[in-house]
Amino acid sequence: MSNLQVDALVVGGGIAGMQVALDLGDQGLQVALVEREASIGGKMITLSKVFPTLDCCSCITTPKMSAVAHHPNIQLFTYCEVQSVTKDNAGFDITVLQKPRYVDESKCTGCRQCEYECPITVPSTFDRGLGAYRAIRVPFSTAVPQKAVLDIDNCLLCGKCEKICPVEAVDFTQQPQTFSIEATAIVLATGFELSELGAKKEYGGGKLPNVIDPLMMERFLAPTGPYGRVLRPGDGMEPTTIAYVQCAGSRDQTQGVEYCSRVCCMYAIKQAMLISGALPMADITIYFMDIRTFGKGYEQFYQNAKAMGVEFVRGKVASIREDENHNPIVKVELTEDGRIVERTHDLVVLSLGMLPGASHQNFGLTPSSSDGFVAIPAANASPCVTQRPGIFVTGTAGGPMDIVDSIITASAAASDASAYIRRKTGVQVEQPEVAYA
Amino acid sequence: MTTQIAQKETISRGEMLKRLRAQHAETVERTQALLKEQKRIQREICQVMRENPKTVPEIAEAVGMPTNEVLWYVASFKKYGLVLENGMCGDYPLYQKAEEK
Amino acid sequence: MPDEKVKLGVYTCYCGGNISHVVNCEQVAKKLGGMPDVVISRTNMSLCSDAGQSQIEQDIKELGVNRVVIGACAPMLHEQTFRGTVMRAGLNPYLYYHVGLREQDSWVHANDQQGATQKALRLMAAGVAKARLLKALEPIRLEAEKRAIVIGGGVAGLRSALDIARQGLQVVLVEKSPFLGGRMAQLETVFPTGGDARSLLHDLIDEVVKHSNITIFTLAQVAGVSGYVGNFTLQICQHSRGVNTENNEALLAACRQEIPDDFNYGLNNRKIIYRAYPGCYPPLPAVDWENYNGEPLLIDGGKPIVLQDTPKTFDVNVGAIVVATGFDPYQPRQGEYGYGELKDVITLPEMIRHLALSKSSEHLRWNGHPVRDVALIHCVGSREIEGVDEPQEDGQVNNYCSRVCCTATLHMTEELQRYFPELNIYDLYQDIRTYGRGHEEYYNRALEDGVRFFRYHGEERPEVTAAPAGDTHPVLVKVKDALTYGEQIDIPVDLVVLAVGMMARDIDDLVKMLKVSRGNDRFLLEVHPKLRPVETAVNGVVLAGTAQGPMNIQESISAASAAAAKVVSLLGQGKVELQPFVAAVDVEKCNGTGACVEACDYEDAIALKTFEQNGKEVRRAVVTPANCTGCGACVSVCPNRAVDVQGWTLAQYEAMVEAIGMELPVLAEAAA
Repeated sequence: MSNLQVDALVVGGGIAGMQVALDLGDQGLQVALVEREASIGGKMITLSKVFPTLDCCSCITTPKMSAVAHHPNIQLFTYCEVQSVTKDNAGFDITVLQKPRYVDESKCTGCRQCEYECPITVPSTFDRGLGAYRAIRVPFSTAVPQKAVLDIDNCLLCGKCEKICPVEAVDFTQQPQTFSIEATAIVLATGFELSELGAKKEYGGGKLPNVIDPLMMERFLAPTGPYGRVLRPGDGMEPTTIAYVQCAGSRDQTQGVEYCSRVCCMYAIKQAMLISGALPMADITIYFMDIRTFGKGYEQFYQNAKAMGVEFVRGKVASIREDENHNPIVKVELTEDGRIVERTHDLVVLSLGMLPGASHQNFGLTPSSSDGFVAIPAANASPCVTQRPGIFVTGTAGGPMDIVDSIITASAAASDASAYIRRKTGVQVEQPEVAYA
Repeated sequence: MTTQIAQKETISRGEMLKRLRAQHAETVERTQALLKEQKRIQREICQVMRENPKTVPEIAEAVGMPTNEVLWYVASFKKYGLVLENGMCGDYPLYQKAEEK
Repeated sequence: MPDEKVKLGVYTCYCGGNISHVVNCEQVAKKLGGMPDVVISRTNMSLCSDAGQSQIEQDIKELGVNRVVIGACAPMLHEQTFRGTVMRAGLNPYLYYHVGLREQDSWVHANDQQGATQKALRLMAAGVAKARLLKALEPIRLEAEKRAIVIGGGVAGLRSALDIARQGLQVVLVEKSPFLGGRMAQLETVFPTGGDARSLLHDLIDEVVKHSNITIFTLAQVAGVSGYVGNFTLQICQHSRGVNTENNEALLAACRQEIPDDFNYGLNNRKIIYRAYPGCYPPLPAVDWENYNGEPLLIDGGKPIVLQDTPKTFDVNVGAIVVATGFDPYQPRQGEYGYGELKDVITLPEMIRHLALSKSSEHLRWNGHPVRDVALIHCVGSREIEGVDEPQEDGQVNNYCSRVCCTATLHMTEELQRYFPELNIYDLYQDIRTYGRGHEEYYNRALEDGVRFFRYHGEERPEVTAAPAGDTHPVLVKVKDALTYGEQIDIPVDLVVLAVGMMARDIDDLVKMLKVSRGNDRFLLEVHPKLRPVETAVNGVVLAGTAQGPMNIQESISAASAAAAKVVSLLGQGKVELQPFVAAVDVEKCNGTGACVEACDYEDAIALKTFEQNGKEVRRAVVTPANCTGCGACVSVCPNRAVDVQGWTLAQYEAMVEAIGMELPVLAEAAA
C-alpha cells in the first residue's frame, strides 16, 4: 500500500486525541488518528457520569467519537499500533502495525450475531475483568467503529461465527500488516494507565475480592455495567458501607509515585454522590489526607457531598485486611485525634493514581521526565511542546489531569501543531464546509 | 472515515482453518478445555436456578465454587440473556433462568 | 417545490438512563408510532452515539423519513450534533426538531414518573405537530472578517494573539494600561519550572511585537460592541501616552508628583509619568491620567507644560472576540485577619513584591523591624462558608477555591528559605492543594526545610491580633490546630502573609456590551465546562485565562491557545453561517403599516422600504437577516400576519399548542 501522507498523526483515540484531531481537522488539516484498541473512546467512554456537572459520560463522549469517524479530514485507524518513527527534514515517517481483527470492516454491520453464537466467554477488559464478552465481539455498545473483533488468543477456531455471519465478514485469512504514514507533525495523546490494584501489599496486594479500583466502580455506576447495579464483586452483595481510600496510588514514596494524581479527590466524591443516588441507604466514607477540589465548581461539589452525608475522615489508611466473609477491614490513623482504629466496610475502593501510558515510551520518540510522563521543557511558555520539534503532547500523556484540562490542552496542542505545520509546509489551508461539533 | 488495511490470500476456508488450528494448537487445546468447563458450569448453575430464583451465595454453595467466580458467570449469563434478575433476598439480588425464546 | 408527503421519524432517547429512569420511553414511543404520518418511532439508549446517529441516517435513506423529531437532552447539548446527522443523510438539517425531555422533564419531575411520562408524550406530540409544518431552510451565509480582537494584554491575551496571528489571521490587541504583561510581570520566579517571570513574558512579548499580523493598542479600552459573529464592530477609546520620544526624558525628570506604585502594591512610590518596571513594553513612559493633578511641569529653558490627554475613538471590525481581561487578587477587608489595622499583615502578592525589593538585604525586614518569624495563612477570600464568613459586596461569599494559592504559598516559603535561611516559617492551611505536575515537590521541600504546618477548619479560621505591648513580637496568630488534635496554639510572629485568592475583575461594562454571562463565582461563564470549555454562549466570543476562573500561568497559556484554535476554526474560511431563525416578510400580505418597525428593538433588523411590486410603487417591510435575532416582537404586532420567524412560525406554534392540549390516554405507570 502506498504511503499515506497527512499533516498530523495523532497517537491515541481517547478524549484528548479525539479533540485535537477534530480541532486540526476543523482548521483544514489532514489528520491520521491511530488507536491501539478496537474502538476509540479511551478511558472516558468507560465512565458513568463526569464531575462536576454529573453529565452522562456517554452523552458527551459519543458525539465526539462520531464526529471523528465522520470528519472529512480525519482518517481513523483502529486496532493499530505505532511501531517505529524516523525523522527527516520534511517530517516523520511512521510505521504502523494493523492488528488483524479477523473481521472485514467493510462488510461488518455490528449486528453481533457472531458474538451471540460464539461458545467461549472471556472476562471483559472493558469491564475491568468483572464483566464478560465472547471471543468474538463488538467491544462495547457505543464502540466506534461498531465492528466486531476476534481475540485469536482465546479463540476455539470452531468457525461458528464465520458460518452465522449474514454478510460473510469473518475472515480468518487476515494477517498483521504494516503500513507507513508520513506526517509533518505528531501529537502524542497516549493517555494514562491506572496504578495497580495490587501495588501496595499493605492494601491487600490485589487479592482481596471486595477491594476494588475506581474504574470498576465506574462500570457499576454506568448504565451498561456488568451487574446492572452496584454490587460487590466478592459475592454479589449490594454494599451498605463503602469506603474510599484516597492517595492509594499517589503521594506515596513507598510506591515510587510521589506526585499527586490530581483527579482522585474529585472522582471519589463524584462516585460517592452517584452511589448515594443508586443506594440511598449506603454509608460512604472517604479517608483522605488533603481534599484537592481545586477546579471551577469543584469546591462547591465537595461541600454538596458533605451536605449530602458523605463522611470525610482525615486519616492515612495504613493497611487493609479482610474477615472470613471477605469484608474489608481498614486500619486507619485518625489524624484529628491521634487514635488508630479499625473499621469494617462491605466494599473498599482504592483511589488509585494515574501512571503514564506505556505506549509513547516504546517509540522512543521524545524523553520523559522523572515522573514518567512526557517531558515538557517549557511548561510556562508552551505547555504542549515536547523536547523534540514537531512532536506535541496533549491530555494525560503529559501528566495527570481531568477531562476539562485534557480538552483544553488538546485544543492548545492543535494550535501549536497547526502553526508548526503551517511553517513547515507553507500551505494555505482550506476549511471544510461545516465544522462538526 | 475508518480505514482498514488487510491482505487476503487465495486458499480455501477449510484449509485456512486447519492451518490456523495447527498454528495456534496450544490456544485451541486450552480453549477446548475452557469450553468444556464453561459448559459444565453453565449447566450446573442453571440447574440450581431451575425451580426458584437464587442468590449468588446460594448458587455458589450448591455448585461448590467461590462466590466471586459464580458472580462472574451469572453476570455473563445476564448479558447474553440466559438469566434474569428477579427481586432481592436481603442484600442479595435473586437470579433465575430466562424463558427460552 | 411540490409538497411531498410528510414522513416522520420519531426518536425517544433513554439518554443513558437520565430520561428512561423516570419517563417510560417505550410507552411514549409506542404511542407516537400510532400518530398520523409517523413512519417509524424508535427508542435508543444514546441517540448521540455513532450507532444511534447511524440509525437515524439509515431511516432517512431507507424509509424515506423526511421530518425528524428527537426527544433527548437539552437542545443546547446536541441540536448541532443531530443537524449534522440529518445533513449527512442528505436531508435539510432544519427539517428536524429537537424536544428536550431531560432538563424539561425527567430531571425536574423525578418524583412523579407517571406525570413525567405523560408530559413527555405531550412534549413529543407537540414536536410531531410542529415537525409536520417544518420547511427546508438555508443558514445565512455571510462573509467573515479574518481578524480577531483580543481584549487584554497579559500572558493569556498575548498568547492568544500570537496563536491566532501565526495562522494567518489579523489580530488587534487592546490593553487598558499603558504596558503589556499584566499580572505575570509582577511575579519574580514562577512555579514549577523556577524560571524568571518577566524573562518568559518578554520572550512572548517579543514574538507578539514582531508579528506583522498583530496591531497593539495600549491605553485602549472597548467602549461599544455591535454586530454578530464574523462581523463585530468594536468602538475603541484610546488615551494618549502624554509624552513622546523627544520630550519624555525631560518630562520624567521634571515630574514631581508621586503616588503609591501599584506595581509594588504601594510598597514604594512612583511618579505619575512612569514605566511599569524596568524593561517593560512599550518602553516609552506614560502619564497616569487618572491620578495626574494637572500641575504644570517645568522644563529647563521652556514654558511650563501641562500634560494633556487627547483621547481618540476608532472602530475595528473583527470576526471574533477573545476576552483575556484577567483577575484581581482578593483584597482583604479592613480588619480581616488584622489586614489594614495591623501594619504587619500583608497579602501574598505584596510579599512577592517586598521580597523582590529585599532579596539582596542581609536580613528580612518589615515595617522598621527585623523579621525572624513569619506566618502564612491559606484560603483568604476563598473557600468561604455562607453563614460563617462575611459575604462580599454583592452578598455572596467566595465559596470557590482559588486553585493557585497553595502552590504559590509553598513556592514563597521556598523563596524565603533560600534568601533568608534563618527565618522560622509557619504555614496555616485547610488542605494543601499542590495538585499540579511538579507541585507536590514544593510541599515535600517545605516539610524538609522545617516549615511548621498547622491545619485549621473553615468553620474556625485563625485569628490575628496585635501582641500585648512589650512582647517579643508585634503580632499573635491564634489557631485551633487539627494536627495536634484541636489544641489552641498561639504563634508570635513578626509578619503575617495572607494567601489571598483570585477575584473576578469588575468588567461590568464589557460584560453588558458583549452580552456574556457570569457564573456564581462572578467569573465569566463558558457554555459547557466539558464540551466547550473556552467558548461563551455568545457565538464568536471566547475566553482566555483568568477572566474565566482562577488558573496558573501554564493553564492560562493552554486556555489561551485553545481559545485561539476556536477562533481560527471559526474564521479561517472567511465565512460564517448564522442560524436561519430570523423574521421573513410575506410581501403579498404586508401593507406597510410599520408596526413591526416600531416594535423592533434591534438596529437595522427590519425597516420599511419603497420598491416596485406588480408595476406599482409600494412601501413594505424588509428584514436584514444578519441583524435579526428572531425575537418575534414584529410577529406579535403585525395586523395581517405578514411576518413570521422562519423555523418558528405562528402556524407551528398553534399546532404545538393544540397538541399539548389534546386528549391523551393515560400511560402505564413506572419507567422501565
